[in-house]
Amino acid sequence: MMYFSYLFATGLTTGAIYALVALGIVVVYRATNVVNFAHGEMFMLAGFMAWSAHVTFGLSYLSALALAVLGAFVLSIVMYRYAFKPLMALRDPNPILLVMIGLSFVLKGAARDVWGGKGDYLTFPPLVSPEPMQFAGIMIMSQQLVVLVAALLVMAVLLLLLRYTRAGKFMQATADNAKAARLVGLRIDRVYMYTFGVGAAVAAISAVLMAPLTLLNPDMGFALFIKGFAAAVLGGLSSIAGAIVGGLILGVAEQMAAGYIETGLQEVAAFVVIVLVLIFIPNGLFGTKVARRV
Amino acid sequence: MTFTARGLAACLLVVATTGVAAAQDAETQGITDKEIRIGMFGPFGGPAYLYGKISMNGAEAVFDKVNESGGVHGRKLVLVREDDGCRAEGAIGAVKKLAYESKVFALMGGACSNSTVAARPEIERAGIPFILNSATADSITDPPAKNIFSTQTTGSGESRAQLDFAIKKGAKKIALVAMKDAWGMSRYTPLMKYLEDKNVKLVENLELAGDAVDATPQALKLKASGADAVILVLYPKPAAVMMRDALKLGYNPMWLGNSTISDLKAFGAQVGLPGALDHFVTISSTRFDPSDPKLKAWDDRIKKLFPNDELSPFNFYGLGSALVLVEVLNRVGPQPTRTKFLNELGKLKDFKSEAYFGPITCNAPTSHQCNQNPGWFAWKNDKLVEIQ
Repeated sequence: MMYFSYLFATGLTTGAIYALVALGIVVVYRATNVVNFAHGEMFMLAGFMAWSAHVTFGLSYLSALALAVLGAFVLSIVMYRYAFKPLMALRDPNPILLVMIGLSFVLKGAARDVWGGKGDYLTFPPLVSPEPMQFAGIMIMSQQLVVLVAALLVMAVLLLLLRYTRAGKFMQATADNAKAARLVGLRIDRVYMYTFGVGAAVAAISAVLMAPLTLLNPDMGFALFIKGFAAAVLGGLSSIAGAIVGGLILGVAEQMAAGYIETGLQEVAAFVVIVLVLIFIPNGLFGTKVARRV
Repeated sequence: MTFTARGLAACLLVVATTGVAAAQDAETQGITDKEIRIGMFGPFGGPAYLYGKISMNGAEAVFDKVNESGGVHGRKLVLVREDDGCRAEGAIGAVKKLAYESKVFALMGGACSNSTVAARPEIERAGIPFILNSATADSITDPPAKNIFSTQTTGSGESRAQLDFAIKKGAKKIALVAMKDAWGMSRYTPLMKYLEDKNVKLVENLELAGDAVDATPQALKLKASGADAVILVLYPKPAAVMMRDALKLGYNPMWLGNSTISDLKAFGAQVGLPGALDHFVTISSTRFDPSDPKLKAWDDRIKKLFPNDELSPFNFYGLGSALVLVEVLNRVGPQPTRTKFLNELGKLKDFKSEAYFGPITCNAPTSHQCNQNPGWFAWKNDKLVEIQ
């Protein structure tokens, strides 16, 4: 029981991080129909920014979090204005994809230049005691608990933001039908821009939450992006709820496969699940079938 | 007919003269009255850049010091860097460019095993002296090629040393956590063979990916197995993740690292838990102790040349091979040729430097693996301690 519970709790925690990464991808995809391939690098950069604020400049964890979120938000808006916006007008996703992939390499290189040369892997100090806690036969790390609760809180706030705020409704409207949104007077360029910003901000939050659980390095972004993307695909790519559920399933599947079958399956378990889901439920768990008039 | 014979003889003479001239050119390629050009290849970016760019920075520090004091027999050393991206085709291209376009005298580097293995035939074809300083795959230097030498330890040698050390320290239950990529397999396969030879059965044989962010299942399995020694065939990052997740569970056996985990101060910080390195020992080809005052001069020079760097064992890979290169060039004398250089390098015996743990001895032609003396180290009270 203890073995299972610890694996499950760890799976939920990493799954919650995957879900947050997936949320950032889904938010941008819903609004723009573009998968942001530089999303992982935004995650990585935010982690390093928070590290500098917290470790180098001695700011509190919360201040470091706020700075990283602000930094990622501003950077993504700059990227949108100068890299994506001119290409969005072409209505061809290929140049945008290429620019995103190119940008991801540039950001990685920039991070290596600024934070590299110091052993490459940086440690973020633990938030709370790293010792495990036990209650009712279940073992969990207090740090995992903090991360899990915080991740769930962020998801809830994001859902509320999208559903009940004016900005969220603009994003939803643009995601549902960009032409109609423009016709009713929405400045969809601006909506796209803020959507990129919100996606990056969510990536930043997930990075800063995850940082104390792992090590920061310039190449971490792509691996996390792949996991987040897998979670998003599993959930249905354009479904917010799907991204959350997809992330949690992925995290738990990795732990269970490694814990009960074979440790070598830890990295591939998630993808096996996705392949199976896509074979049997091609639109993902929460995806909707697009109806086409014939 | 006579005309044809004369013509043929003349042609042969021209060809022969050109051939001799070309061979002479190759012998002294990259050398002028004022400088000696040395090429170095490895990744400038990507996860392995530590073994490329950072190692090159170490070599540059040596060249800077030598040049400051007048060079080698009056010639300044010039480092020509090429990025191989840690890819096979990148390394082949980099070697060709350095050998035929930049026309360097000798090569150093070889950060990644796979790419350097792929480049070996090209290096042999070019006949250019090559001192390998980072990659550990046995097949780069075994069987020996007349122009390829290594000042780094080998993967199989390290695997054997890990098991021998565990047995010597009385471990009864030995477990293994390994990466199963090409680097990991070049150590895992000889280790499996050696375990068989020694009749040792592992209590756990686990895998952990190089970019793993979590090792909870591995930690739980190790703890349940009761292993008292764990051999790590892992890069520093997954090794830190592995140890951190095990320590959180209160499980802290004897951990046996490998030469990639040789910056123990940084590694302790990466694990990031109190007592992280209490039971950790590792193999190192270099003697890197940031608290050693003797290294201060190198630290200062690295900082002067590369303000963003902090002196690290990866600097030492380049620094060590460059010290060997300079020593051999000094021994060759004022009229260096490639043949003379290779002869001297092959005869190098017990060369001691502040970079390597043991002396460098090249036993040409039987072995070109010149670093046969890795050390075992631990980190105690903020100091590097040698373990016998």
